[in-house]
Amino acid sequence: MDHEPVAITVTSGKGGVGKTTTVASVGIGLAQLGRKVCLLDTDIGLRKLDLMLGLENRIVYDLIDVIEGVCKLRQSLVRHKEFPNLALLPAAQTRYKEEVTPTQVKQVVDELKKEFEFILIDSPAGIEGGFRNAIAAADRAILVVNPEIPSVRDSDRVIGLLEAADLREIDLVVNRVQPGMVKAGDMLSVERIQNHLAVNLLGIVPEDRRIIRSSNTGEPVIMDPKSLAGRAFSNISRRINGESVPFMELEDNGLINRLKRLFPIA
Amino acid sequence: MNTNMINLFGRDKERRTADTANDRLSLVLSYQRTEIDEKKLKHFRARLIELCDEFGYDVVGQVEIRPQTGRDRTTVIFASIPIRRRDSVRESL
Repeated sequence: MDHEPVAITVTSGKGGVGKTTTVASVGIGLAQLGRKVCLLDTDIGLRKLDLMLGLENRIVYDLIDVIEGVCKLRQSLVRHKEFPNLALLPAAQTRYKEEVTPTQVKQVVDELKKEFEFILIDSPAGIEGGFRNAIAAADRAILVVNPEIPSVRDSDRVIGLLEAADLREIDLVVNRVQPGMVKAGDMLSVERIQNHLAVNLLGIVPEDRRIIRSSNTGEPVIMDPKSLAGRAFSNISRRINGESVPFMELEDNGLINRLKRLFPIA
Repeated sequence: MNTNMINLFGRDKERRTADTANDRLSLVLSYQRTEIDEKKLKHFRARLIELCDEFGYDVVGQVEIRPQTGRDRTTVIFASIPIRRRDSVRESL
């Protein structure tokens, strides 16, 4: 390991903004860069990360099994076939978040740090017990936000809670951006969101229908060479890995806009 | 020309909703960050009137308190207090 292991929680407050999609793609992205990565699903009772990674049929043990001593940590890890340096520690699907404490999650993450360089923690939606479990062991946080008022308001609340928990290294990923709508003045711009939340911008991910395809197949969108969102996640992974990567130019390439560029009066 | 004819060509511009969203967000975030509610604002307003009185001013209109998001997640509270110096009130009488 050429740098200190780091645990990063990916959180949002509001559900459905793309936390799990982010964890899956960034996890693959860091593994592609040669890093040893473990993805920890803390959404007990509602796990999704296994599905996003196409690993749902290979789960034998889960996080609660490790905590209760039913199995060893090593036995619970599901290795990715294409990227053996990437592992998943799944959440239990038939248990409850209240059955795990923040201290127990921290102990597991401390163990994982002995083998992995990056531990990405997929946080459940909400700010209750599951959220506290997900932030207990984190060194950094990535906040995933959509360009809509409810998502930004929830994110602002989460920033307050993260700071109260002394987690001050917080990065922002603005997901599901529609450049055409921003240009037309019907979607909050990334700049406005960043001004409101006042945290470091880590990435901008455009809305991309290919994400649905990726969740259908269990291959994170970063593995799809045709996907613009995939490219954005690849850039985010490189930034987390310490590279300086410029932000992508997001242009609306719909037919109407292409015509408008060809015929400016249209 | 009839307005409906213009609408047929989709030329009438609708309001840019992102501006509305931005204003609404600014307000809700300022309330959320400072945990201000209507009860607290009412109490705050009453104290400001007391303070004005203490400094020799009469409040002669509606006191308005408006929290707004500032830089770096701070909140700026704008208070609009129409006052008149107590002596000048007496003089005008």
